[in-house]
Amino acid sequence: MTARLRWDPRAGWVVLVLGAAVMGQWLENYALTVGATILIYGILGLGINVVVGYAGLLDLGFAAFYAIGAYTSALLVLNAGWGFWATLPVAIVVAAAAGAVIGYPTLRLRSDYLAIVTLGFGEITRITATNLRITGGPNGLTGVPPVRVGDYELVTSRDFFYLALAFFALVLALSLLIRRSRVAYAWRAIRQDEDAAEAVGVRTVRAKLLAYVVAAGIGSIAGPLSAAQLGTVDPSNFTFLTSLFILVIVVIGGMGSLAGAVLGALIVVGLPEVLRSAQEYRNLAFALLLVVTVLVRPRGLWPARPRPVDLGRGAEETPPEHERSRRERREHREEPGQKRGALLRVDGITRRFGGVTAVEDFDLALEAGEIVSLIGPNGAGKTTTFNCMTGIVTPTRGRVLLAGKSLTGTSPHGVVEAGMARTFQGIRLFDEMTVAENVLLGGFARHRSLIGPWGAGLVCGAGRADLAVVRWCLDFVGLRASADQTAGALSYGERRRVEIARALASGPSVVLLDEPAAGASPVEKKSLMDLIGRIGTLGIAVVLIEHDMALVMSVSDRVIVLDYGRTIAAGPPAEVQRDPQVIEAYLGAPEDDPGPSPVADEARA
Amino acid sequence: MSDFLQYLVNGLTIGSFLALIALGYSMVYGVLRLINFAHGDVFMVGSFAGLGVLTALSMSGPWLAFAAFAAVFAGALVSGVLGVGIMRAAYAPLLRAPKISLLIAAIGVSLALEETVKLLTRAGFRSYPDVLPDAMLFSGAVRVSYSQVALIGLSALLMVGLWAFVTRTVRGTAMRALAMDPDAARLMGIDAERLTMITFFIGSVLAGAAGVMYGMYYTQINFAVGFLVGLRAFTAAVLGGVGNLVGAAVAGLLIGLVQSFAAGYLSSRWADVIIFGVLIAALMVRPHGLFGERIAERV
Repeated sequence: MTARLRWDPRAGWVVLVLGAAVMGQWLENYALTVGATILIYGILGLGINVVVGYAGLLDLGFAAFYAIGAYTSALLVLNAGWGFWATLPVAIVVAAAAGAVIGYPTLRLRSDYLAIVTLGFGEITRITATNLRITGGPNGLTGVPPVRVGDYELVTSRDFFYLALAFFALVLALSLLIRRSRVAYAWRAIRQDEDAAEAVGVRTVRAKLLAYVVAAGIGSIAGPLSAAQLGTVDPSNFTFLTSLFILVIVVIGGMGSLAGAVLGALIVVGLPEVLRSAQEYRNLAFALLLVVTVLVRPRGLWPARPRPVDLGRGAEETPPEHERSRRERREHREEPGQKRGALLRVDGITRRFGGVTAVEDFDLALEAGEIVSLIGPNGAGKTTTFNCMTGIVTPTRGRVLLAGKSLTGTSPHGVVEAGMARTFQGIRLFDEMTVAENVLLGGFARHRSLIGPWGAGLVCGAGRADLAVVRWCLDFVGLRASADQTAGALSYGERRRVEIARALASGPSVVLLDEPAAGASPVEKKSLMDLIGRIGTLGIAVVLIEHDMALVMSVSDRVIVLDYGRTIAAGPPAEVQRDPQVIEAYLGAPEDDPGPSPVADEARA
Repeated sequence: MSDFLQYLVNGLTIGSFLALIALGYSMVYGVLRLINFAHGDVFMVGSFAGLGVLTALSMSGPWLAFAAFAAVFAGALVSGVLGVGIMRAAYAPLLRAPKISLLIAAIGVSLALEETVKLLTRAGFRSYPDVLPDAMLFSGAVRVSYSQVALIGLSALLMVGLWAFVTRTVRGTAMRALAMDPDAARLMGIDAERLTMITFFIGSVLAGAAGVMYGMYYTQINFAVGFLVGLRAFTAAVLGGVGNLVGAAVAGLLIGLVQSFAAGYLSSRWADVIIFGVLIAALMVRPHGLFGERIAERV
């Protein structure tokens, strides 16, 4: 083996910051001022990247956090005589709190509604600042003193440039840490598919709120800096147009891309300066350029690329098991003197939508390692049953018990955490992420906290235990070789298997598979049959919704047949196939249509 | 009490303009799921076009009414053509791109229109000639001018026309179908591209007509009116539940009333704060707007 020196992309950032520091030595004042402004907008760009780029929550009022940071700091400096450094944490906390305030009502809103609410919040902030006396009204605040470091006052453009560079470098380092953290994965998952994110155990509501808070906190740092640079806080610097420019930074740079955010800041601040000679036309030129950029490169100039997860080598022997479910299952088993109940119990689940009863009195008792299939014609209520069991839909009546613990009314992320994972009928992978990242997210439910590292690993990046889980799951479904491909690029059958691997990564005691064989080729079906059987031998209980009778009859221990929401038959496969009611549900009454039964045929095949 | 009635009448007048513009936001959102940021500027351009026609005609006396109608018509037409042009040039190529790219394109077009008009007008205000008669229908404690009644009436007429088009014609029905389920609508043989253009045209025509009426009523316009008025109309469209036309019209009137009362009882400086405050409060209670249907997602 040859040891190769690999270029770490993070080294590029060090080069960039050092390069800027060297440049600062010979740039003239004008260039230094523009440079400092670029750095300030770079900070804003890195801030909005969290909420728009990662979490995909459109924010049209980001200037509000910039304004709140600037006003908070300047007011404390001017009225309370605080120093710049002391005001910083206060400014950040106030802006983060504002982030929570704006985030809270928007959590239930669709993205377009979100846009107007954030816009409204931005305008409310600006108008309030313009109208209040304490904030200096339309004239704003003036006479903000320069920053002092020890006894030294940072008065010159060069001094300030270095101050801004230092802050930028700090925020950049923080952003690099955040990028590989659990919460960043959670945000990206939410952006790509919120329901799927919830299904792998992401507390989506909390994660979204956190996105606002973190973004506001980061963005607010630009406020005090700008106040110190200009010596004034002018409300006309925080208009809707400012918010747009900040948004444009991430959009033309590339959503979720740190390099894109920095490049975007360079363009948004730098370009109008370059066009300065054509003063009048520069905004028009900028607007046209914006349209052209979006038309030519809709994903931005420097889009974020999926990064391969370094899985290391070697195969894992032991399958992942969910900490909590393992503990609870053990406790459950060891209860002395009591007859052990089933691992999963579903008692009389009923769900009505208006006048339609989608599921009626559905019962199920499942032991570890058992494979039960749910079959029935389209619209029989199979998927609704899954949705009731996993907390996506609240059942009208009935309860779900997993290892003796009630899951009724639990949110989807709570259900996975408790040890029941699922796949979806229409595959719902995080298409822009790699296969390994998808499976890594599948392990989200193993840890309770949203913030913090994966497992016991370093502050960022996945921990060893998590990587082992990913390795094991990918080997189990036979997709280790495709680990670094984006999930969206795989074939249909492979995508199904990635989804199963993702469900297994949570270390479940029960998995619910919704039509895993739909659209699969005969060869793929064969390997899928084998895969489901192997899941059973791990001691994981499987509930399968499937239309492929050959598959159902061969892998299932028991089959439950639904028709119009009612359970019309249940029992071992052979018994169910002969049930006249089942044949009728599939084919109509025999006297109407005396054709051969495909149910029986396929089972024979 | 008379104050209240006065604010009510003024609010209804502003509200009817806002309703016309909000309808355009809502219609475009219905077919493209796009917040058409340039819509406010289409309104602004229509307003300038109407001003151009009025200035060119420079009529007086009994011909004034004719000139006013010609201006509304011209403004509406210019805006309509502009709207379709924007759709074809900037939005059509991006229909398959991420949603946010489309939004940014709309923002770019909006800025470009504003900057162009700003350059052409040297960033100054332009005055509309005095077209509307000063005669008062009521001139007691509450003052209602004939022109207010005429403007509200014309707006109402346009809205009824739109309503009839959407509910009583094949094209209108196709438009609703396209908004509900684009794929199913295409499969039924609806020419989505053509219909999208028609939608842009109608929406922009309404905005252009509102632009000219706004100019006649307030007599002063500049490049920024599109942004200011557009923002309130956009708020109305969201408040009504984007995509819902009746909702947009009702919420437009409502926002007009809120603006008028806020300016009257409090201060016009705080009007926008109140408007956005009402919007945020309303969305907290009804996340899909006042009249918006909850769109269930299939899992």
